[in-house]
Amino acid sequence: MTLILHDVPPIHWAVAGAGIALITLALLFLANRRLGLSSSFEDICSLALPLPYFHRKAVVSGRTWRLPFVAGLLIGGFLSAMLSGGWSPTLALGVFDQRIGFGTAGKLVWMFVGGLFIGFGTRLGNGCTSGHGIFGMSNLELSSVVTTLSFMAGGIVTTNLIYRVIF
Amino acid sequence: MLLYIVLGTVFGFILSRSGAADYNFIQSMFLFTSFQLYGIIGTAVALTLPGLFLLKKYGHTITGKPITIDLKPLNRGNVVGGVLFGVGWSIAGMCPGPILVNIGEGKLYAIAALAGALTGAALLGALYPKLQKPLGLPRA
Repeated sequence: MTLILHDVPPIHWAVAGAGIALITLALLFLANRRLGLSSSFEDICSLALPLPYFHRKAVVSGRTWRLPFVAGLLIGGFLSAMLSGGWSPTLALGVFDQRIGFGTAGKLVWMFVGGLFIGFGTRLGNGCTSGHGIFGMSNLELSSVVTTLSFMAGGIVTTNLIYRVIF
Repeated sequence: MLLYIVLGTVFGFILSRSGAADYNFIQSMFLFTSFQLYGIIGTAVALTLPGLFLLKKYGHTITGKPITIDLKPLNRGNVVGGVLFGVGWSIAGMCPGPILVNIGEGKLYAIAALAGALTGAALLGALYPKLQKPLGLPRA
């Protein structure tokens, strides 16, 4: 199976996993930072919303590293596109287009709804694949094992419902 | 700040090229038709686990500051939030990091996903005081 991005083959999973481990450990060893991406949603909210929840210590202290890191994610994606065939805006969504086939408006609504679940769910669960799945599990934290099992279960049921039952 | 931009760029590049930010690969993970994502996450944990153990033993950063890791508390929010996140991960075919990576790649629908995620996070922030007791969440 190839990537939607320019139809290129993916890099080997062991190489990718090793790279992720390296970044995780580097963040901690170089700067005493715990890898975690979902908090960046709160960081961005804190730039615009005066709610006290978004001005608590965890957000204000974490913003200084997470916002540049998130900028890096954007650059990384951009570079990846540039180096695999060039950057161009796209709405290509692989198997969604083949099996579900909504037009542009429907696709954007679908994505917004997915995002709602992601933003609300990750912050309620206090982490996502990186913070719980990678760091938390590697640190043998029970909270992370529980949350990871929960989100895998949620994803498995939803995808199977969508692709094996409904569409 | 430059350090974080560089680390984020490498991380984003890996997410992009490995399939972790790819809608098809995420669905394949949840359908069990591809090993790729399990291999990525499994390898990352397999290497980070001993790495963390050793780093904690060593006890300090490259500049000599003590390494302090805040542990995540366990409460009902983990299960409810976890399941909801999983539903969203399936629907969008992205988790938080990949949303940003995909925007960088030029996938315009990821902007809609980000808008939804920010809205969802804002909603959680607004509702947090009401959810705190029922779900056993820590004081914000």
